Amino acid sequence: MKYFNLFSDILITKGINRILISDLQRNNSELQSLELYNIIEEFKSHAIEEVLTFYDEESQEIVQEYLNFLLEKEYGFITEKDWDKNFAPLAPEFREASKISNIFMERADLLLSPQLLQSIANLGIKHLVIYCDAALPLTSFVDLESSFSNSCVESIEIFSHYHPEVDQDFIKALHEKSARIYSLIFYNCENPPVEPSDIFKFNLVFSDQSLRLNSCGKVDFKYFDTNLMKVLEALNHNSCLNKKIGIDKDGNIKNCPAMPQRFGNINDIALEDAIKHEEFKAYWNLTKNDILVCRDCEFRNVCTDCRAFTERTHTNQSGLDISKPLKCGYDPSTNVWEDWSTNPLKQKAIEYYGLK
Amino acid sequence: MILIISRKQETTTNEVIKWLLALVKKFIRVDEDEEFEIRAKEKRIYIESHRNCFYIDDISSVWYRRGGIRFKKIQYDNPAVDVHMQEHQHWLQDYVIKKLESKKHVNKQSTSAVNKLMVLEQAKKVGLDVPEFYLAEDTAEVVLDKTITKPLTGNITINNYQDYAESIMYTNIVEHKEKDSFFITFFQEKIEKDFEIRSFYLNGDFYSTAIMSQNDEQTKTDFRKYNLQKPNRNVRYRLPAKIEKKTHQLMLLLDVNCGSIDFIKSGDKFYFLEVNTVGQFLGVSAMCNYTAEKAIAEYL
Repeated sequence: MKYFNLFSDILITKGINRILISDLQRNNSELQSLELYNIIEEFKSHAIEEVLTFYDEESQEIVQEYLNFLLEKEYGFITEKDWDKNFAPLAPEFREASKISNIFMERADLLLSPQLLQSIANLGIKHLVIYCDAALPLTSFVDLESSFSNSCVESIEIFSHYHPEVDQDFIKALHEKSARIYSLIFYNCENPPVEPSDIFKFNLVFSDQSLRLNSCGKVDFKYFDTNLMKVLEALNHNSCLNKKIGIDKDGNIKNCPAMPQRFGNINDIALEDAIKHEEFKAYWNLTKNDILVCRDCEFRNVCTDCRAFTERTHTNQSGLDISKPLKCGYDPSTNVWEDWSTNPLKQKAIEYYGLK
Repeated sequence: MILIISRKQETTTNEVIKWLLALVKKFIRVDEDEEFEIRAKEKRIYIESHRNCFYIDDISSVWYRRGGIRFKKIQYDNPAVDVHMQEHQHWLQDYVIKKLESKKHVNKQSTSAVNKLMVLEQAKKVGLDVPEFYLAEDTAEVVLDKTITKPLTGNITINNYQDYAESIMYTNIVEHKEKDSFFITFFQEKIEKDFEIRSFYLNGDFYSTAIMSQNDEQTKTDFRKYNLQKPNRNVRYRLPAKIEKKTHQLMLLLDVNCGSIDFIKSGDKFYFLEVNTVGQFLGVSAMCNYTAEKAIAEYL
């Protein structure tokens, strides 16, 4: 007898009409049928030969094709006599040493106070995103970089207003001096000053869009990320807010700058103290399994949730918003993606957030 | 206070330190650029470099990762005094190292470098399956295509050789005979593998990973010839209890309590290949969600 063993780094997420197979090592996901899901389930408790007897001759061919597909993709392997039980399942725990892993700041400049830098170090923050609605000189970027030399910060992403000073020399100079900046987005730019083929240390995007803070929170296939750590986090926590902190343009400390609840202001309170507020972590353990519609969606484990903009239809017993993200146009019961902004059922919430 | 002996910009050290911070454990990190002087104050002995200064009895545990504690060598003009003072310093340094190594530790400076040949002999002694190996100065006895060769050294890279900044000496199959003799070289029977297993070992605990490298021509003989387009599958694996027991015995014999251990699975057999005490293990650990860096931080 032969047995099919599914590799432990293959995660199968069942939706209403189909499944998503996520390869957590090769970092990609693909949609497949529920039929394949059932066959994989049967392979878990029966030998391959046994499974084949469950089907008529015609269907056996299909089962064999599915098996070939699973082997070709290296989603699993075949053993004789029994499953190889020494292959242990993946432990789904999410472990992160930092108290806060990401900070998202909305600022008028890139000048961070010594107290804020100290707080970032104390919390072990690794990833920094700054949205700055200003035209920034080169020195601002360089000074920001140097303020993080010898720090625990690993990556910095900056969104800022494009201005004519940002030319080839500007970018090249920044390329020379940057170490932690991994992504730069200049918005409001009609004519990008560099060729898209030029390669820099950082990802460089010139957008003709006028990016605003409330542009965030879109759920779309292109934002889905199959990545072991992200998926482990999503299985245990809220993929949008867990271990994240936000500071809005007025210095208010929040879960996300686009959310209304404040936990003090950086001019009065240290981030370390702000996160001690009893409600600061309220959303951290709200997983996609708790959120309406999402809980039935095949994309739930690779999706970036959004708690800042939701359909505002439901709250749970603890008062947490468990409504579907507003900017998601996907319906897991029909498998159709539609434009969320024109959905008549969402208009009330769109109006509430002033997204028109 | 935890003492970490490592090198600058050493990733594994940095990752363990993140967990020490999270666990609120105090530590001192010593890097390769430090030279210590041994001193005494109020009957207590302490060592001091340009960056660090600590009492030996304040250290509760030691992690020897890489490098080593180096001492300042003080020389004297008078040859007779110098001979005496060199020995005097030697025993003081020996005392400091031995005191540090007698504490709770993850690896030790004095036993961390292992002799691959001795390790194989010891592995046989504890009853592990080891592919036949021998040393030879020519290929007369070598069975072609069924024998591999690999370096005996801990460091398998060569820097600035010919036009290459860094060359790596991978494990290779011997496919043809050499006419001439050569410097004494290590040969080993090639095992047809089902897959490879790399176990991270920490004080009796095994965190094993099966590395499915056999289906890929590029990684068949040495999985470190990474296929970046289609990486080998690295998944959680449990070694049979009797293999873990024998390997644990081997590690006790080697007096090494942390390292990466390589095996090949072939049919029902698990062939022991080698122990690496200073290698990188975080990549493999992360793919299986073992968080080995946390285990080290917790143990210290």
